[in-house]
Amino acid sequence: MEYVDNTQKRNLIWIALLVIVATVIPFAISSFWLRIVTGVLMWIGLAQSWNILAGYMGYVSFGHGAFFGLGAYVTAIAMSLGVPFIISALIAGAFTAAFAAVIGYPTLRLQGAYFAIATWAFAEAIRQIVLVLPFTGGAYGMRLPAMLNENFFYYMMLLTIIGTVAIAYYLMHKAKFGLKVKAIREEETAANVLGLDVTRIKISVFALSAFFPGILGGIYAYWITYIHPDSVLAPVIADQMVVMTMLGGLGTIAGPIIGAVVLFMGNRLLWVFWGDTSFYLVLVGLAVALVILFLPSGLVSLVPRLGKKDKPKVDDQPNSSVTEHTK
Amino acid sequence: MDLFFQTLVNGLLVGGIYIAVAAGFTLCFGVLHVIDFAVGEWVMLGAFAVFWLNFFTGVDPLIFLPLIMVLFMVVGYYFQPLLQRVITNQQSNALLMALAFTFGMSILFRGSALTLFGFNQRSLTTFLSGKNFEILGISIPALRFGATVFAVLVTLLFMFLLYKTKLGLAVRAAAERQDVAGLMGIDSSNIARIVYAIYLGLTAMSGTFLGSIFSVHPDMGLRYTLFAFFVVVAGGLGSIQGAILAGIMLGLINSFVAVYVGGQYIFLILFTVLYLILLVAPKGILGKGW
Amino acid sequence: MKSKTKWTIMVLVLLSLSLLLSGCGGPKQSDDGENAEAERDYFKVGVITSLSGASVYGGNVTRRGYDLWAETVNAQGGIEIGDKQYKVEMVYADAASDPATGADAVERMVTTDEVDFLFGPYTSGVTLGVAPILEKYKVPMITGSAESPLIWKQKFKYTFGSIPAVDLTGSAPVSTLVNEVEGGAKTIAVIGVNDAFSKATAEAFKATAEQLGLEVVKYDIVPEGTDFTPLVGAIKELNPDVLAVGGHEQTHMEVIKAAKSLGFMPKAFLMHYGITTPDFINNLGTASEYVFGGAVWTSDLNYTDKLWGSTKEYVEAAEARWGNMPDYTEAASAATGEVYAAALAEIGATPPLSEEEREQLVDALENIKVDTFYGPIDFANEGDWYHNNVGLQPLTIQLQNGEQKIVGPAGVKVADPIYPVPGWEER
Repeated sequence: MEYVDNTQKRNLIWIALLVIVATVIPFAISSFWLRIVTGVLMWIGLAQSWNILAGYMGYVSFGHGAFFGLGAYVTAIAMSLGVPFIISALIAGAFTAAFAAVIGYPTLRLQGAYFAIATWAFAEAIRQIVLVLPFTGGAYGMRLPAMLNENFFYYMMLLTIIGTVAIAYYLMHKAKFGLKVKAIREEETAANVLGLDVTRIKISVFALSAFFPGILGGIYAYWITYIHPDSVLAPVIADQMVVMTMLGGLGTIAGPIIGAVVLFMGNRLLWVFWGDTSFYLVLVGLAVALVILFLPSGLVSLVPRLGKKDKPKVDDQPNSSVTEHTK
Repeated sequence: MDLFFQTLVNGLLVGGIYIAVAAGFTLCFGVLHVIDFAVGEWVMLGAFAVFWLNFFTGVDPLIFLPLIMVLFMVVGYYFQPLLQRVITNQQSNALLMALAFTFGMSILFRGSALTLFGFNQRSLTTFLSGKNFEILGISIPALRFGATVFAVLVTLLFMFLLYKTKLGLAVRAAAERQDVAGLMGIDSSNIARIVYAIYLGLTAMSGTFLGSIFSVHPDMGLRYTLFAFFVVVAGGLGSIQGAILAGIMLGLINSFVAVYVGGQYIFLILFTVLYLILLVAPKGILGKGW
Repeated sequence: MKSKTKWTIMVLVLLSLSLLLSGCGGPKQSDDGENAEAERDYFKVGVITSLSGASVYGGNVTRRGYDLWAETVNAQGGIEIGDKQYKVEMVYADAASDPATGADAVERMVTTDEVDFLFGPYTSGVTLGVAPILEKYKVPMITGSAESPLIWKQKFKYTFGSIPAVDLTGSAPVSTLVNEVEGGAKTIAVIGVNDAFSKATAEAFKATAEQLGLEVVKYDIVPEGTDFTPLVGAIKELNPDVLAVGGHEQTHMEVIKAAKSLGFMPKAFLMHYGITTPDFINNLGTASEYVFGGAVWTSDLNYTDKLWGSTKEYVEAAEARWGNMPDYTEAASAATGEVYAAALAEIGATPPLSEEEREQLVDALENIKVDTFYGPIDFANEGDWYHNNVGLQPLTIQLQNGEQKIVGPAGVKVADPIYPVPGWEER
C-alpha cells in the first residue's frame, strides 16, 4: 500500500538533504576528519548488517566480525592476483554471503545462546585458520597496493552503506519478506507451523547479513593497505557491532545508525582529546549495561519518531520463563 | 613412551585447570540459566585481588583463598539482583539480554582493570610455585597439581551439596521450576543470590591458582572465558559430571595436539571441536545439558 | 511506482556524482609549506607511537627516547643549521596500537599540524599502516623501534629505521652459543608466538641455527595465549642444549615458569625481546638470571656523541630524567633525532620544510652516516634492508645479576658468557 502522506514527504526531504550533505562533505572538511567520517560510515554499515540478523530475525551472533575479516582477506588476495579493486570487493561480498549460507545451514539450527556461542567459536576458528594458512601471510598480514585518494574511499563506503541501509529498510520494513523474518523472531515454531520455509528464510537473511560486511571489509583493506588477523579478524569488531546496535536500538533502521555514530565518534573524540583507549572500554561497558537495564529498546526509543517500528504495531508479548525452557 | 605419559599427565592437569574455572560457571548456569560472559573477568578480578593482598602483606597467596572466597561471595550476593533485573526486565529473549549484559560487564571490568592497573604483566608466586615432584619418571608441577586437587574437591563438594543436603534440594527445585518451588515455600530469589555468590567465590579462588600458574594482567580474562565456555558447552550446560569429563577431554586434546601435531593448531582444533560439538551434540557429550 | 522511481533516480544520480567526484580527490596539503604558515623559526616534529592500547608500554619507551632528545637539543639552543640554531617542538599523536588509528593520526599530523618530519611507532604493524600515507605526502619518518624485516622489504621511500631488523640481529646470540662458549651448543629447540615480530624472531633463530649446523629438534609457532607446559614438557624430553623463544615479556615469563615447574633447565635459554624489561626481571626474580638475548646496544658501550658527549653521559641523563636505565629501544629513539639534526645541517634546510627540502632530506638520510652514542647509524639504500640501519653490530647479551651484559661476539664482550647456566636449585 503506497500512499505518499505528509510524513513520507518529510522523510524524503530529510533524506534528500542528507544525501546532498553526504555528497559534498569531502570538500568541506579536512582529510583527517574525512577519514573519521569514512570510519563512521563503515561502522554504520557493519552495525546495520548485524542488525538484519539479530534485530529483525532475533539470531544474535557474536562472531559477525569474521565476515568483515574474510572480506578483507578475499579482497587482498584477489587484488594480489591482479583483479581490479571493485571487482575484488564484489567477489569478497559474494564469497562471504556464500560462506555464510554454507555455515548457516547447520548453525542456524541452534537456538538463542547456543547460536551466539557457536558463531563466536567459528569466528575464532576462522581467525586461527587465517593465522596458519600459507597464502594469507599468517601473522605477518597482507599488504595491498596503496591508493591514497581519501575521497574515493569515502564515496565507496557511502555507496555501500546506502545500499545496506536501503536494502535493509526495504526488505524489513516494506516487503513481505520482513514480516516473515520478524515472525521467525517472535515465535519460530509457530512460523514454521504456519507454513513459512523457515530454513530458507534464515539462511537468506544470514547470507544477506554477511554480504555487506564482506564488501566493507574489502574497502577497509584497500583503504588501510595493510591487514592482519588482529586488525580485521579480532573479536573486538564483532563486539562493536553488537554494542552499537544494542545501544542504538535492535530491530530498527535508525538504531544501528545512531549507535554507530555515537560509539565511534565517542571513541574517536576520546582518542583525539584524551588519547586513552582503556577508558573507552569502561564507558562502553557501562553504556551496554545501562542501556540493557534501563533502556532496553536502545537510544532510538528516546526519539519517538525514529523508534517507531511499523504500522500496524506488533505488540511484544511478555514471555514467561516457561517458554524459555521449552526452547 | 615416557613422552606419552608425560603428555597424558600434562593433559589431565590442564584439564584440572579447565575444570577449576568451569565448576562454578556450570553451577551458575544450571541453576540460574544465565551464561556469564564475564566469567573470565571474575577470574581476573580474583587474581588481582590476591595480587594486591600479597603485594601489601607479603603473605602467600594461597593462604588468602578463604578470604577471597568470602569477599567475592559477598560481592556476588549483592550483584546478583542486578542481573536478575535484566532477566525479568525483558519481554523476550531474556537470556540473550543477560548474555549481552554480562558481556557489557566483561568489557567494563577489563577496561577498569586496564585503566586502574595498567598493562604491565604481573606474577603471583606461592610456596608451590616452581616446585614439582616426580612419580615414575614423570614430573608433576606442584602448582598445577594443587589446582587440579582444588578443582576436584570443589566439584565433589558441590555434588555433595546439591544431592545430599536440604539446601541443595531447594536449589535443584528452584532450578527446575521456579514458580512451583516458590509455591513450596522456597525463596527462589534468595537461592539465586546464594548460588551466584558461590559461583563468584569459586571463580575468584580459581583466579588465585591461575594467576600463579600463568600471569596476572587485565587481559587475562578472555582466555579463561574461553576455557569455561569450552568445558561447559562440551559437557552440557549445567551438568557437573559433563564438565569434569569435558574438562579432561579438552585438556588431553590441548596437550596431545601441542606435542604431536604442532602448537599452532591447538586453538584451531579446540574451536573447531567446540563448534562441532555444538552442532552435533548441543546438549553436551553426555547429553545431560540443558 | 512513484516512490520507487524516485529512489532509483536518486541512487543513479548519487552513483554518477560519486564516480565523478571521486576522481577529483587527492592530497589536501598545500604542496609547499610556504603559504600555509608564516615563517617559523622552529622545527615541528611529529611523534607517532602507541600511547595507549596493548603496546602502551613500548610506545612510552620510544617516547621517552624522542623526548629526551628534544629536551637536550633545545637546552643546547636547538639544531645547528649554518650559523643559526632552531629549536624543535614536538607534536604527539597516539596510534593506540592499531594501524588504522595510526594512519588517521599521521594524516592529521601531516595535513593539519603540518609537521616537518616524523618520529616513528613502536610496533611494526603501526609502521606498516602509517608508511603508505607518508609516501603519499612525502614526509620522512624514522622509527626508533619496529624490528620486523617486512617493513624494509616493502621499500618505502620515506620510512627509515634506526634499529636493525630482527633477522639481522637474531644471528648473534645463536652464533655465540655455538662458537664462543665451552662445549658449544649442538641442539636447539625454537618456539615463537604467532605474531609478526615474534615469528620473525623465531625464524631468524632457526635460520641461523641451521646455517651453523645446529640440530633444530623442535620448531613451533604457537598462538597467543597458549599454555606452554605441554610444549615445554615435550621439549624437556628432547633435551636440547638451548631453548630459544621469540615473543614478548608475557611469553618469556610463562615459558620460564613452565620450565621451572617441570624441573627443566636447558644449558641456556635464549629469549628476544623483553628480557631486559623491569617486568621480566621483577616478576621472575632469580629465575630470570642467565637468560641470553640479542641486542644492538647496552649501556656498557663506549661511543662518543655530538649531543651528549658519550654513551655514559647519555645513560646518566636518561636515568636522571626518567628514573630507570634505558634499554636499546629507548636509546635508539633518542639517537634518531641526531640523525635528523645531522642531515638537516648538511642540506642547510630551515623550517618550515618545503616539499623540495623534504626530498633533499630523504636523500641526505640515505647517504649520511652518523656516529652517535648508540653506535653508527647508516641506512642502506638497496636490498632487503632498504632504509634500515645496517651500521650496528648485533650483540649477544646475558642477564647477570639483574643487569644485561654483553657476552658476545668475542671481540666486544664485556663479560664472559656463563654456559651452561646453573640449574634451578643452585640459585
